[in-house]
Amino acid sequence: MTGEAVVREGKAEIDTTIRAVLRDVLGLSAERAAAFADETPLFGALPELDSMAVAGVLTEIEDRLGILIEDDEVDGEMLETFGALAAFAARKALQ
Amino acid sequence: MIGRYDWAGGTEAMLRFGPATGPVVVLALPLFEEANRTRAFAVTMLRRLAERGVASVLPDLPGQGESLVPLHDMTILRMQEAYGGVVDHFDREGRTCYGAGIRSGALLDALGLLFGRWHFAPQDGASLLRELTRIKSVEIGKSLGECWYFEHAEKGVDPVPSVEIAGNVIAPDLLTDLSVKTPFDRSPGTAHRTLRLASDPGEADRKVEGTPLWRRSEPGNDHAFAQILAEDIVDWIATCER
Repeated sequence: MTGEAVVREGKAEIDTTIRAVLRDVLGLSAERAAAFADETPLFGALPELDSMAVAGVLTEIEDRLGILIEDDEVDGEMLETFGALAAFAARKALQ
Repeated sequence: MIGRYDWAGGTEAMLRFGPATGPVVVLALPLFEEANRTRAFAVTMLRRLAERGVASVLPDLPGQGESLVPLHDMTILRMQEAYGGVVDHFDREGRTCYGAGIRSGALLDALGLLFGRWHFAPQDGASLLRELTRIKSVEIGKSLGECWYFEHAEKGVDPVPSVEIAGNVIAPDLLTDLSVKTPFDRSPGTAHRTLRLASDPGEADRKVEGTPLWRRSEPGNDHAFAQILAEDIVDWIATCER
């Protein structure tokens, strides 16, 4: 497999993990989580995503992907859409 | 059945399940908000245990549940002492006690004569402290340094004022305590078993499929999953009692 293919496969796996985290933390149905696209808005758009839930999402992502997210990396932009969150996680996990 | 137990700091309520003889499982819920989120699930699990003939108890530790003691008066050590009081209560009746802890509840069963400890998805204190810091940080919209909970205190003020995190008023001493607490698992000759969710890469004796109910803002329950955990406890105690 080429390096690019490995990254692509890794990215797909991370997308799946992020979906599972959002489903588990926010109590969403599997269908709703599966329907998330890159442009689906998160923070501010999902009433379930309050400060405790944000912390829960970030901590679960850390635990499941084995990464460490610094507090100063957390901003509105990274949580704005599903795609932004998944891209952030992928950068951390695949670097 | 509701009973009461005594500890050095007073008396608290406990929910009792199952037979009046034989071993007793003393369950510690997680600290803070996660306790509310896992209580219904824990009660279901203990009812399943009772159906299998194993007694258990779910104590309100001081600062938790219906306790009249304010949480900000608590440290981890005092909560451990209260947990030890529950164990003593049953020990005096000549019954063997087994500790059980969910998430940070695994930090609370250090004291008392336990014949074994069973931990589900145990969380160490440093990880919980990181999470509390993160919640606070999202609440106030800025990042916080280490020991942030001491920073707003004026010099020389004693005791240092408590801080509020997601509705819980917590003493800085408790938070400091947390930074060094890990689940108690180094007691030679005492049985210890750890279960984790399949999605959790941490070390465990068994991985189980299930959802992390402690993450849900709307407290949920999962009867099938409670049954699986109860069966695990029953089988584990049977091997310990052999």
